[in-house]
Amino acid sequence: MSAAFEAISVSKTFRRWWKESGQVHALDDVSFAVEPGTIFGLLGPNGAGKTTLVKIALTIARPTTGEARLFGQSVRSRSILSRVGYLPENPRFPVHLTARQVLSFYGSLSGADMKRIRANSEKWLERLGLTQWATTRVSKFSKGMNERLAFAQALVHDPDFIFLDEPTDGLDPLGRAEVRNICRELAAAGKTIFINSHILAEIELICDRIALMKSGRIIEQGTIAELTTSRGGYEVIVASAEGLSAWLTEHRLTYAAVDGHFHVQAADRSSANAVIDALRQKGVEIESVNAKRRTLETVFLEKVSDV
Amino acid sequence: MFRPGVLLDTFLESFRNKMFLFFFVISSLIVASIGLFLNMDAVNGVMQGVEFLGNEIRVPALTVQRWVQMLQAGLAMLVATVGLFLALMATSTLFPQMLQKGSIDLLLCRPVSRWRIATARFAGGVGIMTFNAAYLFVGVWLVLGLKSDVWNRGFPLSTFLAIFAFVVLFSVVMMVSVITESSPAGALAAYTILIFSPILAAHERITPAFSNELYRRMFRSMYWLLPKSAETIGAMRRLILGQPLELGWIVGTSLVYALACYVVTIVYFTRKDY
Repeated sequence: MSAAFEAISVSKTFRRWWKESGQVHALDDVSFAVEPGTIFGLLGPNGAGKTTLVKIALTIARPTTGEARLFGQSVRSRSILSRVGYLPENPRFPVHLTARQVLSFYGSLSGADMKRIRANSEKWLERLGLTQWATTRVSKFSKGMNERLAFAQALVHDPDFIFLDEPTDGLDPLGRAEVRNICRELAAAGKTIFINSHILAEIELICDRIALMKSGRIIEQGTIAELTTSRGGYEVIVASAEGLSAWLTEHRLTYAAVDGHFHVQAADRSSANAVIDALRQKGVEIESVNAKRRTLETVFLEKVSDV
Repeated sequence: MFRPGVLLDTFLESFRNKMFLFFFVISSLIVASIGLFLNMDAVNGVMQGVEFLGNEIRVPALTVQRWVQMLQAGLAMLVATVGLFLALMATSTLFPQMLQKGSIDLLLCRPVSRWRIATARFAGGVGIMTFNAAYLFVGVWLVLGLKSDVWNRGFPLSTFLAIFAFVVLFSVVMMVSVITESSPAGALAAYTILIFSPILAAHERITPAFSNELYRRMFRSMYWLLPKSAETIGAMRRLILGQPLELGWIVGTSLVYALACYVVTIVYFTRKDY
């Protein structure tokens, strides 16, 4: 089965003709794939090139070199875009339209039949708490309502692939939770979701796989578990015993005494096994062994400041 | 597949932002004023007097047909100048509004080609003004016809020229506002052409005054390159008054200019990263 989304050596250079050294490399040979039915998160600091990549995938911008594919088909053909939904950052709707008209307008432009759009409009307006505002002009909407309507327009034509650019921006905690629930339900129904965000906690809560982007390059990718456990080390927890503190110090092991237990640190798996063997030989009972997980924030800060 | 979304939305936008309503009310007021407050007094087909809003207006002893033609020609000139200015101002916002960040993304991510989006927007603007011009011209023609029994075909036909003049200048608005993403820039470019077109139209009288042959050539080139808005408006008057017309080169050169603007707009719009 082909990937739901593929970036193949995508580069984008913006030229500023009025400046002598006026080239900005927004994307530099970006390649990765997103599997169907997954929630994929693209993380990166501001200016990393996340939005540029999404815009290239949606033909809003063109790559300097390389290609973006959706369901195995080049986006240049455009027809594939009927299977795609998009929630842009700071969406702006025609102010003369009502919420229901917004969904009809964008749904029809996506090529879905009007009967389905009408049914889906009601479904998503209700789900996102906008039913009572369905006939209100969007010029009267608050930022949160506008964001929820933008989410609805991304889904109204039943797309198979949904790009969400900062989807929880402007939403209250309840709204954020609802967006996360909907994303999970959509993924469970086989839809692929691509989230572009710099809110690490949101990504950590929801995404199956993530890619870290910095200065137009993908610097790390994998599942959350892969990224947060690698190089995190291990922690062996044992009950405190007579002379154990001196023994640990003597063997130059790092430890901390917490609530009547010693938390002994090991840098990697083999060190952890060696510590366990030594402790067992000394007759110390092992309470538990934990692979130390770093937070996504730690990984993010480490990566974006290192590379 | 034809999707009328952007075209219909342009109409809807003009209804909601009162642009359509403004022109409709003005047109209705003109038609109603002529219908209700203009009284013509004619004896044996010759005008004796005219009363408007209860005031008697002195008129030369013209035939009713000639008088109606002159009234229609005067009205057409007013519409073609003041109306054209207002129409260009009102429609100059259509493209920059569409191109706003967050708004254009929602259009370009659809399976609709960019040239269709721009063309639909352009057609929407033209459609709104076509409806209003047709409503005004046909309305005035009907009211005056019923009052005087003079059915001058040239007047309703001149609507096509008024619309043509608008289409040509609106193509300038489209090109400039798509490139600059600014409404005032688009409107100003069209106004400049409209204001300078009578000066360029008088090139045969003006160029001999230039001392340098290069300036003369430049001035003549500008005349041939730029749309003939003044001549188009002049042609409306000639059509209404039943005078001989030479439309071919006026329409031809203006149409070429409008097409060039359209092509530049489409090429720019389809290549631009948003």
